[in-house]
Amino acid sequence: MFAHYFHLALRSFRRNKAITALMVLAIALGIGACMTTLTVFHVLSGDPVPDRSSRLFHPQLEPRSKSGYVKGEEPPVQLTRFDAEKLLRDRKGDRQAMMTGGQVAVTPQQTNIEPFISNARFTSADMFPLFAMPFQFGRGWSGADDEGHARVAVLSRDLNQRLFAGENSVGRTVRFDKTDFTVIGVLDDWRPTPKFYDMFGARGYGQTEGLYLPFSTAVELKMQRSGSMDCWDADTTGDSTSLNAPCVWIQYWVQLDTPAKKAAYLQYLGNYSDQQRAAGRYQRPTIVKLRNVREWMEFHHVLPSDVTMQMWLALAFLAVCLLNTIGLLLAKFLRRGGEIGVRRALGATRGAIFRQLMMEAGTIGLAGGLLGLGFAWLGLWAVRHQPVDYADLARLDPSMLLLTFLIAIACSLLAGALPAWRAMQITPAVQLKAQ
Amino acid sequence: MEIRPIISTLSRHKTAALLIVLEISLTCAIVCNALFLIGNRVEEMNHPSGVALDEIVRVQLTPIGRDDDADAQTRTDLAALRAIPGVKAATVLNEVPFVSSSWNTSVNLVAKQERPTMNATIYMAEEQFMDTLGVHLQAGRNFEPGEYQQFTEMQRAAQNASIPALIITRAMADRLFPGGNALGKSIYVWDDKPSQIVGIVDHLVRPSTFEGPETREYSMIFPMRVPFNLGGNYVLRTDPARRAEVLKAAETALRAAAPGRIIVEKQTRTLEELRIEYFKQQRSMAWLLGGVIVALLIVTALGIVGLASFWVQQRTRQIGVRRALGATRGQILRYFQAENFLLATAGIVLGMLLAFGINQLLMKKYELPRLPWFYLPVGALALWILGQLSVLWPARRAAAVPPAVATRSA
Amino acid sequence: MLEMQQVTKVYRTELIETHALRSLDLRVNAGEFVAVTGPSGSGKTTFLNIAGLLETYSGGIYKLDGEDVSNLNDNQRSRLRNQKIGFIFQSFNLIPDLNLFDNADVPLRYRGMPSGERRRRIEEALARVGLGSRMKHYPAELSGGQQQRAAIARALAGSPKLLLADEPTGNLDSQMARGVMEMLEEINQQGTTIVMVTHDPELAARAQRNVHIVDGMATDLAMEPALVRPGQPAAARV
Repeated sequence: MFAHYFHLALRSFRRNKAITALMVLAIALGIGACMTTLTVFHVLSGDPVPDRSSRLFHPQLEPRSKSGYVKGEEPPVQLTRFDAEKLLRDRKGDRQAMMTGGQVAVTPQQTNIEPFISNARFTSADMFPLFAMPFQFGRGWSGADDEGHARVAVLSRDLNQRLFAGENSVGRTVRFDKTDFTVIGVLDDWRPTPKFYDMFGARGYGQTEGLYLPFSTAVELKMQRSGSMDCWDADTTGDSTSLNAPCVWIQYWVQLDTPAKKAAYLQYLGNYSDQQRAAGRYQRPTIVKLRNVREWMEFHHVLPSDVTMQMWLALAFLAVCLLNTIGLLLAKFLRRGGEIGVRRALGATRGAIFRQLMMEAGTIGLAGGLLGLGFAWLGLWAVRHQPVDYADLARLDPSMLLLTFLIAIACSLLAGALPAWRAMQITPAVQLKAQ
Repeated sequence: MEIRPIISTLSRHKTAALLIVLEISLTCAIVCNALFLIGNRVEEMNHPSGVALDEIVRVQLTPIGRDDDADAQTRTDLAALRAIPGVKAATVLNEVPFVSSSWNTSVNLVAKQERPTMNATIYMAEEQFMDTLGVHLQAGRNFEPGEYQQFTEMQRAAQNASIPALIITRAMADRLFPGGNALGKSIYVWDDKPSQIVGIVDHLVRPSTFEGPETREYSMIFPMRVPFNLGGNYVLRTDPARRAEVLKAAETALRAAAPGRIIVEKQTRTLEELRIEYFKQQRSMAWLLGGVIVALLIVTALGIVGLASFWVQQRTRQIGVRRALGATRGQILRYFQAENFLLATAGIVLGMLLAFGINQLLMKKYELPRLPWFYLPVGALALWILGQLSVLWPARRAAAVPPAVATRSA
Repeated sequence: MLEMQQVTKVYRTELIETHALRSLDLRVNAGEFVAVTGPSGSGKTTFLNIAGLLETYSGGIYKLDGEDVSNLNDNQRSRLRNQKIGFIFQSFNLIPDLNLFDNADVPLRYRGMPSGERRRRIEEALARVGLGSRMKHYPAELSGGQQQRAAIARALAGSPKLLLADEPTGNLDSQMARGVMEMLEEINQQGTTIVMVTHDPELAARAQRNVHIVDGMATDLAMEPALVRPGQPAAARV
């Protein structure tokens, strides 16, 4: 019976080629637009560190001066260098790292490559295990390297490709700014999306850094930091990156494996704040926050508003396409009142008529889904050529592929239900009489 | 042509009529809002920058490591740049319009103010700032030679430093002193020491408008000579036709002036290119919205054509009867046109309500302004025209039905 | 009222020419009730279409109410149709989406009549065919006979000079058919010229005059059937 209905559907399409093509095209356009935006949405709202995003936390403290204090105000989203170094020394979490973005002039040893500027991350030793960063060669540095301001560096796969043609470069030397560093490790591909650990560069979706240096070393060598910095009060130090500068600019991540540890850490942050206020360094009432990766991304509204807007736009577009299809199917089915009346007179049950027509609608959906997949592929190709930081991430994956078909068929069945329901109400008598 | 019989016919085809009305209304609502979003973005892109857009080029360079005598190097660089043939003026800047990196500070009207009045960006200017950017002084004066200070020295002086004189934009002046004359007044932007407003420029866009479009011109100019390694921005002014040549010459001059510096090629461009880059995402979103509008209109038009064609086919006999009963071709044509007009009108009325609803949502979620009323007639007109154009073909086919159809046996 | 001289109608396709009418001569006087008969394919329907200005003809002269219609354009023909001719079709051809009142209103609207007069005429016409109480009903809610009476009311509302009936009882059972025939005869008595196309000799016999079309040519059978014409209304008129 299924095959028979399919056959009938195909015959019906042949009778109204233009209308059928129109319906398939409308569904395909709607599906294509939806899948494009949903894929982007899916990619951008993914979990950057699966299996540990609920255990990684970013603490917030309130180090600002009393001036301009508003009760209940959110504390700064970064830490002062003073607080970050203290938290790091105390080691109250399972793992912890302090970090900031930076810019480094790279002078390769090979004379045929011109010096160039690379993005860098000045960080502490635990960042690599903390974020489960994969290594292609070598390893990260140790806490002792941090303390000893070691001249060691971890390169990204891309930078290693550029400098050493992808070879194992562990032990080789590269000049960063005016200092020679020894390569201690090379990362494999690592691209957390969103780039949760630093929301300020590239609105949360940029490429990861080309190289990683110990924070202590970078500070000692006065390397160029980059990213957001917020200062209050008069800066008496003359250098906003100095230890006591009234400025927040450090990102700090801590791993806390159990809820109990999280509670203990919150307690610790509170105690620390109280001590600081007692010592006169903090002026505002204690307020501490501890958000995990998910909460942190939500708090930062990391998803670009254009992306959500595009998704709603695409859904509305799909709705219009569906209304269109419902209207056309209704007209088509009801116009076949004669045929349906005769079928009913010849003994077709209402259910049989309904199934026949739904088969027709479903087939249109299938065709629309196939074509829509093509449109989605085109759409994503277009997104990859957009001037956005996440452009290169926009690719179809198998789960989205499956979703495309499910949505297409669900949509067309939905679109077919009302017309088919209306058409099955046609009684044989009325139709025969009017004809 | 009266509408009652048309309505009575439509009421016998409620579902189909309702579907097309819904489709038109949804299209109308989306088109109105999408047009509005496009309008917003275009307005943002066309907003005056206050600088000589087509005469400016920018070189970005960074030292390898720290430069301990950056101030001296900067003086040497500027002299070399100003000597390039075709260069009208050259300056060094902490930040450049249409390049996202920016310096910002809170602005107070009195000392020790609890909550800052506003936030504004800081352009640190040396002597040729005004001439190079082509900023237009609307009131007051430019800085006097004695007012310029070295950024490096001020940093060293820390608490003892102050900015006695500054220039702000008209937009900022109006925000700080609504109705009053800002010229000569003092504001607090550097610790708690007053700075007097000595001049007001008509426009000067801030590098990034992270606080919303109304803050896009909240800019201040401080008489502060920055060293080149503070952002690494050299900006030169020349004839529009000589920009490429000057850019090349500037790179050569800077390479010759000191070794061991890196010119960031991607950021070494004309200001016009930087501006295009800066608005790229806005522009592509505007195009995308435009594409959606077109696609929506096409789908809706095809839907109208399809449904109207079906109706014409379905009513072929009754059209023949009407013709036999004396309807002219024009009357049949107008019947379908009027029917479409009614459907479109119903859709548009519903669409207007929907458009306002969507706008309310956008206002809440994206802090967009209220939908100006004139987008509604634009959207309505677009859909009426669309409806009439779409129905023309089916209606003409209807008008071509010969009256003899009436006598054909069923 | 209706005068055709050597009217021809040729349908042309790429391959063949079909002579639907060859040199048709026919004259119908005002007030007559003429039946046009003939086997199927003889050209009856073509004749009716031409007489009713639904189709143009290829050659000859056709005068309707004294006016030569040869050179009229489509709009003029529509207007003439609207003002002078009333149609009654075999399959009634009521518009299914409109109720009886609106159906009868269709030709009057095309005439641009003021609404008060339209209402008066429609109510009168529907009352005359005995459907005065069913003005708000839709065609599907009525029996075949009622539908045809409604169609007659629609034709009458415009006070046409000429009523063209195409197998008016073809889709009706005999009892309903009789009622419709009686109605036509009554209308004819009140002065409306009627031309009725039918293949039913019994029905044709009730007309004053019979015209037989065979192979696109008309033969006037007026003299003979007049002698055997049954039915009182017609006889009473003689």
